Amino acid sequence: MPGMRDVEVRSRASEALILLVILAVSLPLITGYSLLILSGFSKSMVTNLDPSSFYPTLMNWILLLQGRTAQFAGIRVNIWGIVANTLVVALGVSALVTLVGSLTGYAVSRMNFAGRKHIMMLLILLHAFPGSVLVVGVAFIYRMFMPPLEYIRFYSFFYVIVARAAIEIPMATWLMKGFFDMIPWEIEWSAIVDGASRFRVWWNVLLPMIKPGVAAVMLFGFLAGWMDLIYVRTFLVDRTLATFIEANAEAEYAYLPLVAVAGTLYLLPTIIFFIAAQRLIFTISVSGIKG
Amino acid sequence: MVSVKLVNVTKVFRGGVVGVKDINLVIEHGEFMALLGPSGSGKSTTLYLIAGIYKPTRGRIFFGDKDVTKLPPRERNVGLVFQNWALYPHMKVFDNIAFPLRLRKIPESEIRKRVVSVARMLRIDGLLDRYPWQLSGGQQQRVAMARALAKEPDVLLLDEPMSNLDAVLRISVRAELKRLQRELGITTIYVTHDQAEALAMADRIALINEGSIVQIGTPSEVYGKPRTVFVGGFLGNPPMNFLEATVGYVEDKPILVIGNNKLRVPDHYEELVRKLGLNQVIVGIRPEDMGIMDKPVPYRTIRAQVYAVEPMGRETIVVAEVDGSQVKIVTSKSIVLREDQDIHLYPSFEKIVLFDPKTEKALEVLYEEEKLE
Repeated sequence: MPGMRDVEVRSRASEALILLVILAVSLPLITGYSLLILSGFSKSMVTNLDPSSFYPTLMNWILLLQGRTAQFAGIRVNIWGIVANTLVVALGVSALVTLVGSLTGYAVSRMNFAGRKHIMMLLILLHAFPGSVLVVGVAFIYRMFMPPLEYIRFYSFFYVIVARAAIEIPMATWLMKGFFDMIPWEIEWSAIVDGASRFRVWWNVLLPMIKPGVAAVMLFGFLAGWMDLIYVRTFLVDRTLATFIEANAEAEYAYLPLVAVAGTLYLLPTIIFFIAAQRLIFTISVSGIKG
Repeated sequence: MVSVKLVNVTKVFRGGVVGVKDINLVIEHGEFMALLGPSGSGKSTTLYLIAGIYKPTRGRIFFGDKDVTKLPPRERNVGLVFQNWALYPHMKVFDNIAFPLRLRKIPESEIRKRVVSVARMLRIDGLLDRYPWQLSGGQQQRVAMARALAKEPDVLLLDEPMSNLDAVLRISVRAELKRLQRELGITTIYVTHDQAEALAMADRIALINEGSIVQIGTPSEVYGKPRTVFVGGFLGNPPMNFLEATVGYVEDKPILVIGNNKLRVPDHYEELVRKLGLNQVIVGIRPEDMGIMDKPVPYRTIRAQVYAVEPMGRETIVVAEVDGSQVKIVTSKSIVLREDQDIHLYPSFEKIVLFDPKTEKALEVLYEEEKLE
């Protein structure tokens, strides 16, 4: 019939328009990332979308993996040590956030206790605080329990991980609460009647049912630790990738293509994990039981 | 296996919502008891109280002589099957059934033996390696039953376990479940809103409405002798017919006046009507307890007009109008009736139940209660 259209289907024109808008909005980001990656493979920075500034080479990657910050100055940095430090921070934050977030999320979702509503509100409030606020508090604790100076390098990881995790836990708790809320009560009751303790219900029955959610929280925790600058810079004695790049970008003698390479290395897990996390979040299904 | 006793059990939820009030119920050792009632009547709440998922606000619960009121669910040794079966989706059928056994730290070889034997009994021994989502509804229901039975519970609690099955399957599972319960001799409490299921399977039925038990009895008792209008209207398909009548007296004998019809009072009610001195009653007649005649019989028939005829194959349901209200008659005869045709309904007087319109209780119940006061 003329003039009749299926309401579910958008017209081609409007679909194209939506795509165009999305593209326009993400264009600066895409340009930025591609210039960064290209510069890493070039002798000089690729700027202004000018192809004549691109001189292809693998030299920058070789230099980075040899641990040299500047091509001529030849200062050697242990890049693998820096990667290892970054991993320790990222994995530490990830583990702590996942553990605390999934336990708190379960409690907030499934248990009735005094102050439950207030805790939930407080969690949102906590999430609104900027990271810099906590710096003062952590510094205070640092002062109070000053570790022996010869071990301070190792202790400093602890402070960074706890501080960063504290910032991430409210959001993780809310995420986990959402996943636990989706599981029907009957499953939990069933397990309790079968003889399981609350902890066992959480570990053996509920967590396996929301594996994708747990994975998502792990990934977000990992990325938060990987990208953290403020606590690493303030408290960590060693450097992570983030502070390494920052230091290089600030240096007067910086050889920028090398920084671009480091930046690419730094971006890699972020890009991989966001693609993975997207998949995870879109394929989450909880019950798996036919109605 | 034990008997279950609820004494003055009341459950008030947070926020003041009353789940059940003053439930008194005894389920004998090995008995199949159905808790029947409309949705929201408190029947599932009662079941969860017995399971220990809810704690009663007041009252006590006994398993045999043991007071279990304060015991957590896992110390009560009950098997529970939910309406949605609540299978653990990430575990295979074998692990689902073995889950309660593993929690009891039973040796793995013993677990294997028990799971296989209970699975064989429920004819799911070929499915042990599958995940719940790979099973049909009927198979999932069996797995849930197997999981509940594997731990050899004292009491089996079933919360509408068949309402997610299709109609044909439900009827075949019904007989099977009844048979299984008899063979195991396990005390069973079955929650349902389906009166056919309750009548078909249970030894006794407890009717629950608005959080209170209305009547407890064998299927034939609750069907034949409803204590309230609610019970008569809830049981039976089609349910009991109700007609409003005024009480008159002819030569000092009470009669029922329904519109222009005069009907004699059934013999077993004569005394009661006189003693209670009621002016109004509700006459309850089951659809199958009425015959259809062409000619009136004084004091024995009610005049009606045919409203519609519903042939159901095995029987025919005649919908007729009596004094503005509809009644249904189930008849096996293939009588030919026109719409708006005048007919005369001949009730079986010994099966009539009279109710008091104010309290909606059957007259004998009302009389007993008055006598007690």
